[in-house]
Amino acid sequence: MFVHIRELAFKYPNAKESTIKDFNLTIDQGEIISILGESGSGKSTILRLIAGLEMPTNGNIMVGDHCMCSNSSFIQPEKRGVGMVFQDYALFPHMTVEDNIKFGLQKWPRKDKKERIGEVLELVNLEDYRKRYPFELSGGQQQRVALARALAPKPKLLLFDEPFSNLDADLQIRIREELRRIIKATGVTSIFVTHDQDDSQALADRIVVLRKGAVAQIGTPSEVLGTDCSFDERLPVKPRILSRV
Amino acid sequence: MKWFRTLKLTMNMWTVLSIIFVLLVLLPNLSIIVQFFSEPNENWLHIREYMLQQYIQNTLVLVLFVGFLTLVIGTSLAWIISAYDFPLRGFFQWGLILPLAIPPYIGAYTYHGILNYTGVIQTSLRNQFDMTVNQQYFNIMNMPGAIFILTIFLFPYVFTITKAFLARQSTALVENARILGSSSWRIYFKVVLPISRAAIIAGVSLVVLEVLNDYGVVSYYGIQTFTTAIFQTWFGMGDLQSAVKLAGTLMIIVLFLLVLERIFRGRRRYSFTTTKVKLLQPVKLEGKQKWLAFSYCSFIFLIAFLIPIAQLLHWATLTYKQFFSNEFWGLIWNSITVAFIAASMIVVIAVVISNFARLNRGMLAKTFPKVTILGYSIPGAVIAVGIVTFFTAIDRELFDFYEWLGLQPTLVISTSIFMLIFAYVIRYLAVGYNSIESGFDRIGTNFTEASRMLGMSVTKSFFKVDMKLIRGAIFGGFILAFIDIMKELPLTLILRPFNFDTLATKAYQYASDEMIHQAAIPSIIIVVVSAMAIYVFHHVLEKE
Repeated sequence: MFVHIRELAFKYPNAKESTIKDFNLTIDQGEIISILGESGSGKSTILRLIAGLEMPTNGNIMVGDHCMCSNSSFIQPEKRGVGMVFQDYALFPHMTVEDNIKFGLQKWPRKDKKERIGEVLELVNLEDYRKRYPFELSGGQQQRVALARALAPKPKLLLFDEPFSNLDADLQIRIREELRRIIKATGVTSIFVTHDQDDSQALADRIVVLRKGAVAQIGTPSEVLGTDCSFDERLPVKPRILSRV
Repeated sequence: MKWFRTLKLTMNMWTVLSIIFVLLVLLPNLSIIVQFFSEPNENWLHIREYMLQQYIQNTLVLVLFVGFLTLVIGTSLAWIISAYDFPLRGFFQWGLILPLAIPPYIGAYTYHGILNYTGVIQTSLRNQFDMTVNQQYFNIMNMPGAIFILTIFLFPYVFTITKAFLARQSTALVENARILGSSSWRIYFKVVLPISRAAIIAGVSLVVLEVLNDYGVVSYYGIQTFTTAIFQTWFGMGDLQSAVKLAGTLMIIVLFLLVLERIFRGRRRYSFTTTKVKLLQPVKLEGKQKWLAFSYCSFIFLIAFLIPIAQLLHWATLTYKQFFSNEFWGLIWNSITVAFIAASMIVVIAVVISNFARLNRGMLAKTFPKVTILGYSIPGAVIAVGIVTFFTAIDRELFDFYEWLGLQPTLVISTSIFMLIFAYVIRYLAVGYNSIESGFDRIGTNFTEASRMLGMSVTKSFFKVDMKLIRGAIFGGFILAFIDIMKELPLTLILRPFNFDTLATKAYQYASDEMIHQAAIPSIIIVVVSAMAIYVFHHVLEKE
């Protein structure tokens, strides 16, 4: 067991109800997990809690042998060794692709830095775009830069917040395949949240269905989405591709 | 255990500095509140018995009339310019903001200079037409005169806020009213005024705060208000204790007005949402109406900007030699130095507090931004009293300390330029803060979070990412604060060290000493610099 989340709970200061209630999950090393839920189900909040961008009201998060947070301790996001790809990518607009990737490698020796930048750019097929600025790239390219930037410091765990929500439908399908290839090639443990069942099915080893801040179901894609017909009724989220047609 | 965890995490440099800065802003104000309740002396009993009523009455008359007149002029101009097209409309859109560049105290002595016995009007009548007029009709140095001056130089506050609101938010309602066949007067009273209530109240409140802050106009025209009374009891009678009581009373009035504003404005905010806006299409006016609209705008522009500027320029041609004296360059140097230091401090404090407020949740993060705005609502004279009492108290403590060290004990801080700069920072922190906060609002917290996920601490993220993205906002905040400080009068008059003059104090002093011509050049420099601020502000605003 690589990631171990126990009794996680979270409440925004002025909210009446908890956003996350008693969330438990264990993840094996190298596994790809998808957290599937409607908007407002608290799926992005879980990601932010694991990243350290929010402080839970209760619960423990362990990654590897390290306790990321408990009721008595809390490790700041910059010290966690967790990477994240943001929904809108959050590429620094005042830096080139190369500088964006280099940003996370500040403590690396110069030679290793250069090598690593080359490696990750090759991985995402953007070697020729080093000197470009984010606004000079297409949406799909920006996303790949964001992925390369998150992968560069070799995080123990990689988080994706709605990674496909800003992409066209056909691009979405292509990138999905590519993303799975890249993640599996690096062997990094990953969690991504989405509201799209197709995304979950194509990418994930296991799916966690979240409803109102609590786990409703956990299993492999076929267990969760494949055979269980009643699921669609319970989760009124249509696949994006269908809803666009 | 959990609170300890939270405490440990939130206690970083940003939090600690924010708390220190906020305390520094609050302490002088608290010092007034504490001393307000001290045992009254004989002077105060005298003031309360015989004079206080007059102060309150004059102050209220000024506030009410200036408030009402700026409301009428500001909203009517805003409506005419937003809804109709007529000759020079494009020019008036920004030209009618220009009166704001003339600080009312400069306007006050300029108009006095135009209208008095030796002024251009009376001398022309005497020399050209051999006419002598009754002085009574040309005396501006009275209550109606002060109301006139404050109205024509402050109405742009109401004008700009209402115009911005009308241009972006009223389109659907106004167009519907037009289709339904309402006349333009009916639309103005039945639609425009009610829907822009929040914007109008916001504008008028700014005017009212400026009127309460004013010292230059009322003291030049010899009207007893709270600010002049604070000056007199303090410097005339040498009674700081009673000055504190007056300041405290004025502070209570201001707080009361702020609460009143909240109630009137209701839950509506005057700022508009930045989502899709449809601009109001102006209707082209024809014939008599066209010239009526044009004349109205021209008349206001003439009396509120062109005439005083022309007069100042004329005086400047008589005294231009002054420009080459060392003393004059000393004034410019003083003005720039204090404004530069204070504006830099404002920017640093504003950045620290706004960065703290946006990255944290909870009570402190919510209340701190409100404290930064406090100083802008409180009249300069009140802040000055608070700061002097506060620093004298500190000096007294240090007095013993110096003695203990075996040094010659003197008053160090309360006679230094530091006190003045500190006062500027409190008074104009809001100006810098608003600009920087809106910069942070635009970039959101995503970049900071991305940077932290890549291993940078909050502080490193700020220097490597956030600061570079809000450079423009920081610069804008600096410029606006810098210029407000350059024009400032009451604080500077009270708190400047012995023999220290700025352009503003010197101009005011020349005018008070009946050397109006000599006041022209420093006044023009202040006006030009302020006009530049207006340009920067609206240029930045328009772009965004």
